Amino acid sequence: MITFEKILSAMLNQVKEATEFLQKKIKHKPQVGVILGTGLGNLFIDEIKNPVVINYNVIPHFPVTTVTSHKGQLIFGEVKKKQVMVMRGRFHYYEGYSMQQIALPIRVMKLLGVENLLVSNAAGNLNLKWHKGELMMLDDHINLQPDNPLRGENSELFGPRFPDMSEPYSKKLNTKFRKIAKAKKIKLHKGVYAAVQGPSMETRAEYRYLRMLGADVVGMSTVPEVLVANHMGISCCAVSVLTNDCDPDNLQRVELQHIVDTASLSEKKLVTLFTGLIGKL
Amino acid sequence: MMHEINEALDFLRKRGVNKPDVGIILGTGLGNRFVKEIKSPVFINYNSIPNFPISTVEHHKGQLIYGEVKGKKVLAMQGRFHYYEGYSLRQVTLSVRVMKLLGIKNLLISNAAGNLNPEWKKGQLMLIDDHINLIPDNPLRGENNELFGPRFPDMSEPYSNVLNKKLRQIAKQKKIKLNEGVYIPVMGPNLETRAEYRFLRKIGGDAVGMSTVPEVIVANHMGLPCCAISVLTDDCDPDNLKPVNLKEIVKVAGKAEPELTELYVELISKL
Repeated sequence: MITFEKILSAMLNQVKEATEFLQKKIKHKPQVGVILGTGLGNLFIDEIKNPVVINYNVIPHFPVTTVTSHKGQLIFGEVKKKQVMVMRGRFHYYEGYSMQQIALPIRVMKLLGVENLLVSNAAGNLNLKWHKGELMMLDDHINLQPDNPLRGENSELFGPRFPDMSEPYSKKLNTKFRKIAKAKKIKLHKGVYAAVQGPSMETRAEYRYLRMLGADVVGMSTVPEVLVANHMGISCCAVSVLTNDCDPDNLQRVELQHIVDTASLSEKKLVTLFTGLIGKL
Repeated sequence: MMHEINEALDFLRKRGVNKPDVGIILGTGLGNRFVKEIKSPVFINYNSIPNFPISTVEHHKGQLIYGEVKGKKVLAMQGRFHYYEGYSLRQVTLSVRVMKLLGIKNLLISNAAGNLNPEWKKGQLMLIDDHINLIPDNPLRGENNELFGPRFPDMSEPYSNVLNKKLRQIAKQKKIKLNEGVYIPVMGPNLETRAEYRFLRKIGGDAVGMSTVPEVIVANHMGLPCCAISVLTDDCDPDNLKPVNLKEIVKVAGKAEPELTELYVELISKL
């Protein structure tokens, strides 16, 4: 019979095996974790010194990303004299992975030594005062994904049964972001990210609904990772690149290539913010 | 999945289904009147079609009907599959993929839905202009097959403007009252509470049901134009809510069936 203990120990084992595999490949413990989202996986990579690149498909128990606009690599190295661990390409629920699979890399980050997590994503803009191409720092989120990575028996080794969500995005990190944005003259909005399942894009009625709920942007990622990071006491922050304007009264067809292109145009600003923040940690 | 679809395709082609023009899905209580319009019908039970699920809802027959309406070759589903029956959404939508690959150019959908709009009354029809999907799964979850469609299908026009325009014109000519609004699919199978009806109304819903949107998402994924009409079978007034029974819902749907049939038969003639 399968017991909760066995499921839990199987999960712990997977995390342990992936962690031990990676420990053998790297010389320094990473301090900062970075997740690079859709169309944001290129320029930041150039900032990493002495990179050690490890493909997801060689890491035990790591899922393999199925989205073509995402590469699937972990990159260890140095940015602004800090040891970083970078996920180039992430896992999404709509790809068919379980939330536990999506959580695995974050758990591994924690065990390797990561204390701060910087997350990026491409998101649809619901706030009509803002425009595509601009950046938004996540102040909060509304989770509309139909599953939770913490569902199942809780391992107290990782964190509490009921993790607090009064400050899912670290105020300390967000304050630093704001200062960097001001110094570098980058327009940085602050708002609420609604996470939906996807992969179909939203209808006009759905955009109205999300806006009514209090969301500024909508996307299909980030929140599962943030939940797991908070569970384990990793401080996190996240920045959305607004890749398309979701005006329900004037909705245009969206193509993935357009989203990727818009994200790429804003990538430089995002890299400035992220490297700036890493320098100040 | 491709293999499952191909087996169903081969079987249906051997049964004589040859490049149908139009696909139709007949919802709860709507599976009788329209069927009478189909000339030279060939009936094919779902349970004889490889990989087709079997509808478990009592008042849904479970068969495909291939025949002719207004000179067009139609393929009608008498009885559909619902998430609440326990099927995966991939199973629920398999038939839509099969119909598209058989050749249909348009998909016409019907359903029975609860009326949330206080200005409308049960027994009336609602043309679906848009939806808010609250079913907790998506038929496109999992690896995407680019042969079917894109990873992130656009939903700016889930219901074809061309088809909806024709339906509006037909309704006007035939003096059929056709409301227009937002359909919200929920998982079911329990009906909604008063608080849930208030919530659904507040977020922008005009009608609530337990079907249709999975099929619409898959049709859009494959670039298949579709339209959908809800028969409003009960008034969901949270301040004056009465217990509903299925008999009553089926009865109201049955009464509205001639109007729905008229709209769809006329639409088919104009395709």
